[in-house]
Amino acid sequence: MAAIQLAKKAVTLPPTVRTLASGVPSASLINLSVREPAGHGHGHGHGVGPRSDVPPKWVGGVSANSSVGLVSRNVVNGMEAVLAAGISLPPSTGIFQKRLIHSSVPAKDAPQVPDFSHYEAKSESTNRGVAYFMIGSLGLLSATVAKSTVTEFLATMAASADVLAMAKVEIELASIPEGKNAIIKWRGKPVFIRHRTQDEVQDARSTNWKSLRDPQSDEDRTKKPEWLVMLGVCTHLGCVPIGEAGDYGGWFCPCHGSHYDISGRIRKGPAPSNLEVPQYDFDEANGLLVIG
Amino acid sequence: MSLANAFYNTLVKRNSVYVTSIFAGAFGFGVGFDVGITSFYDSWNKGKQWKDIRGKYLEES
Repeated sequence: MAAIQLAKKAVTLPPTVRTLASGVPSASLINLSVREPAGHGHGHGHGVGPRSDVPPKWVGGVSANSSVGLVSRNVVNGMEAVLAAGISLPPSTGIFQKRLIHSSVPAKDAPQVPDFSHYEAKSESTNRGVAYFMIGSLGLLSATVAKSTVTEFLATMAASADVLAMAKVEIELASIPEGKNAIIKWRGKPVFIRHRTQDEVQDARSTNWKSLRDPQSDEDRTKKPEWLVMLGVCTHLGCVPIGEAGDYGGWFCPCHGSHYDISGRIRKGPAPSNLEVPQYDFDEANGLLVIG
Repeated sequence: MSLANAFYNTLVKRNSVYVTSIFAGAFGFGVGFDVGITSFYDSWNKGKQWKDIRGKYLEES
């Protein structure tokens, strides 16, 4: 009896201490009628009640004997083995295995699974909605951050405000009378602005431009027929041509003798192409010409 | 409850709609954030910026 008392206190008692001659392990200390701890609270099908995997009575079983304590009987293999628990008999085979895998229920003092039902969501659909809302909000913020990162990075490559301010030049159109040239400096280069007379426009437009060295129509080179705006840099070697000179009534480059007509097109001399037309716009409200 | 269900059924149920609405929301949020911060900045610095004191130095042309 003392041995049984001790065994009750042990937590990891090997249920099988010896094997029978038939090879069947003798599990004399397993209490097969033990029940699960009451109220462990997870409803997965089995209620509190007698176990369904108890072997039938005719197989054998554990019974209490007043003289020797627990007695395990096993009649599965046609023979009857009666063993008293706590009495150490020599194993009937030479093989002795300590089997530590067991299927008994955990001891009562093992930690019980707490009741988590208090923390469960009150409403499944609200929970789902909130979860997706949080996910979507995080995605929204992340997309904003990503977009702003990219745009700010690209903005670092843009020209700074002082450079942009220097890049534009404004001229009052009223200050240039008809038939006169104006030369201004824009981005370190001279820009020719010619207020052409009607005759000059006629002359520029009636030229057979398709046969020129750099064929370009006057309509392509001007936004308004009376205003001719172009860079005053000879396309040959970069001299500044002289206005109202040359064989074609336009510009003449003194360095190597290139002649430009009244639309700034190369007509004679070494220059390969027409005088370049910069980007410009008219500010009608203030009567301004904005170059750049 | 019904609000959460409406949100789920209109926006979340199809992933294409969900992702599209996230990107559209990001665009709108970005614009709104910009406007809000700018107006806050202007009100915080009222009377200090050039556009506030321009009238003292330049006549309207």
